Amino acid sequence: MNQNPRPSFELSRRQLLRYSGIGVAAVAGSSFLTACGEDGGGGGGGGGGPQASGGTLIHGATGGGAKDTIDPHQPVTAADIARVCNLYEPLLFWNNNYELEAALAESVEPSADAKTWTVTMRQGATFHNGQPVTAEDAWLSIRRVADPKAPLSAGGQLSQIIDFESSKVVDEATLQIVLNTPYAILDSLLAEYTLGIIPGGEFDPANPVGTGAFAYESFEAGKTSTFTKYADYWGDAAFLDELVIQDFADDNAKVNALQANQIQTLDNLPYNLIDTIKGAGGGVLEAQGGQWTPFTMRVDQAPFNDVRVRQAFRLIVDRQAMIDQTLSGYGSLGNDLYAPLDTAYASDLPQREQDIDQAKSLLAQAGAEGLQVELFTGDDIGSVAVPAANLFAEQAKAAGVEVKVTKKTPFYDDDYLSYTFAQDFWNTRNYIPQAVVGTFPPEQGGTYNETHWDNQEHRDLVNAAAKEVDEARRAELIRDAQEIEYNEGGLIIWGFRNQIDAHASNVQGLEPSKYLPLGNYKFSKVSV
Amino acid sequence: MTQVATLPDPLAEVAPPRGRSGGAAWGLWLARRLGLAALTMWLVSVLVFVATAALGDPVRAILGRDYDSNVARRQQLEDQLGVGDSLVSRYLDWLGGLVTGDLGTSLANQQPVWGQISSTVTNTLVLVLLSALVMIPLAFGIAMISAHFRRKRPDTVIQTVLLALAGVPEFVTGILLVALFSTSVFNIFPAVTLVAPGGSPWDEPKGMVLPVATLVLAVTPYVSRIVRATLLEVLDSDYVELARLKGIPEPVVMRRHALLNAIVPGIQVIALQLAWLAGGVVLVETLFAYPGVGKQLVDSVRNHDVPMVQALSMIIAGVYIVVNLVADVLSILLTPRARTAISS
Repeated sequence: MNQNPRPSFELSRRQLLRYSGIGVAAVAGSSFLTACGEDGGGGGGGGGGPQASGGTLIHGATGGGAKDTIDPHQPVTAADIARVCNLYEPLLFWNNNYELEAALAESVEPSADAKTWTVTMRQGATFHNGQPVTAEDAWLSIRRVADPKAPLSAGGQLSQIIDFESSKVVDEATLQIVLNTPYAILDSLLAEYTLGIIPGGEFDPANPVGTGAFAYESFEAGKTSTFTKYADYWGDAAFLDELVIQDFADDNAKVNALQANQIQTLDNLPYNLIDTIKGAGGGVLEAQGGQWTPFTMRVDQAPFNDVRVRQAFRLIVDRQAMIDQTLSGYGSLGNDLYAPLDTAYASDLPQREQDIDQAKSLLAQAGAEGLQVELFTGDDIGSVAVPAANLFAEQAKAAGVEVKVTKKTPFYDDDYLSYTFAQDFWNTRNYIPQAVVGTFPPEQGGTYNETHWDNQEHRDLVNAAAKEVDEARRAELIRDAQEIEYNEGGLIIWGFRNQIDAHASNVQGLEPSKYLPLGNYKFSKVSV
Repeated sequence: MTQVATLPDPLAEVAPPRGRSGGAAWGLWLARRLGLAALTMWLVSVLVFVATAALGDPVRAILGRDYDSNVARRQQLEDQLGVGDSLVSRYLDWLGGLVTGDLGTSLANQQPVWGQISSTVTNTLVLVLLSALVMIPLAFGIAMISAHFRRKRPDTVIQTVLLALAGVPEFVTGILLVALFSTSVFNIFPAVTLVAPGGSPWDEPKGMVLPVATLVLAVTPYVSRIVRATLLEVLDSDYVELARLKGIPEPVVMRRHALLNAIVPGIQVIALQLAWLAGGVVLVETLFAYPGVGKQLVDSVRNHDVPMVQALSMIIAGVYIVVNLVADVLSILLTPRARTAISS
């Protein structure tokens, strides 16, 4: 139906695991969050002039179907995430700049050894049923997510580090979380959108209650859900009276609906339709993002067990061409390092560029001239993967490397994690949690260590950073860990995808966010 | 007009012979057809069940890599699907539920299947019905005009347009209609169907226009071309020639003599087309975000939602069988020779 490749936001089951997995992120800002003010009112987004109150906004969400859920702790598709973000709120927020902000907690502070964390609840926040939000509700919600027997999306890491016996609710407004190991970035785990606080930690599908700027009205899986403005919201109340979230299985239908003024916003606009929307007078919201589709080389298998071959392959890639051709130019350059949104991202390391001569010479040194390798790819990695693989094969010819691209359906089967040379998909995440899940041995938390990277020195640095409360010192440790990966790692990270969303011309108050589409789906700031 | 009455009327003349034997013969024939329909449904149920439940391991397909790690969920799914029981007893359980109207529980969201598909089935049937109401008179009208002007310019133009329409896939027609009437050129009709919670797609009648138009444009060429071809054949026949020689006006010849005899192949092709539409025109439903059977079936297959797939397959098969049965009955009632054959 579509001739043009388009970024698909459909999630495979494994991608789901990844979106959820260990929460996103290590800390950017200070762990000491005093009530830094929520920015006053909605900023100007679309047009000029003050924002008007009232009205209904219909949001066209990508994906969704019979599996849709309104459970605060198990969202999967973009439609689920949009609903959850407006109905529920976590203790902290990731703001548009991917920094932590106070939400239902006024502060989340660690002890000097990062083993005991004190959560101070916001005064005056209420649930949609009128009850005040207490530390007890927060603790029971965390327990639901981090149940060691069946941890939910945000609870993977939490369930392992929380000492459930020693943690306790001190009073109405104070929760003390005790860990069984020092963990300096617990606050970042508590800021996930998948960790909304619900009364008593109990989710009632028939009557979902949260604290967000919009309260539940109706929900039909795969179709429509409606929400009404919550007048007693603790922050700035929403401009809109009603929010409708409509599922769209098809990108064309979604874009047509926007053009016909049937919906006012949509997430994940296909790149090839950007000009169509702009031409029709609609608005396009572009945000720097952190999604990446790396090539993965197994460092424990020939030919990639020779670091020179790995470096040669990293020099073969023409990164800008990758971005131009597979992301239609809507991306930023990668430097074989992940977590570009982390404040400790090693941006001082020189940008790696295509250097065929150097690559040839490295291959010659490694005795690997005329190398032939098989590159595994598949549609279920995402729409970027197969074109990127084909482009790599093309680029490798210049260095005398013959790459045979093998498209597997499905890619994520029992062979996944054992391919010698393949691709993978990752959403944005800060350095420490990403390093653990992607580069540690499986028994130490590396669930998706595609490259079979096993480097004690690197691991020690990451572990030390996770325990380090001092931010500057932690950044230093993270930088050193990144340098090891930059010099020896098995990942070719050529770029990061930008987030593109669209809105009608009359929509005001939208701001691009690095975290989630459409300014973290915060429709409370939006007016029509 | 008086001459008309003297002509043999194909409908009036060969009515089934009255009397005990004729009625009994009709009853017997209908019973046989219904029995055959039931038998077909049963065979379909076996096929559907074998294809969805018995081949492969649905639980493994649903859980994938979690099969070994998530024991609780596996247990729950296996209980729900009755994996431990023998194939025959599972089939009989399922068939029993089907006959008593209990379609089971969806694996994807643990809601009763019927509650989820009843509205989509209705939506699809309404869409098909509306399309049929527009399409049938349109197709016959076009065929009559075309046959009337046979091999003259209007006929050539009509045939070319119909052939072009038949050659374009229905979703392309849909995309063009949307671009023309809702996004790029005019902004008259909604581009997609937005259904308010608890509402129906036809709550906003304007929203039905483009989906119906797309389906009508997709189906009309086939029906129209078949009817035209039959009409031409009939128009060449001796009795039409005779009617003309008797001086009956051409419109009357066309309506009463030709059309009635050309209607039977038309009914058959309409039935096939409608059944095809009822099976869910996934692409059209997707394009207009119309909450119909096709989209739901695709979603269910993707979710490995066995009970939903089974229920939807059975309903689609049921529609095929009913539509074809109705078409057969109509055809026979309209074919004197077949009528006599049955009643004698």
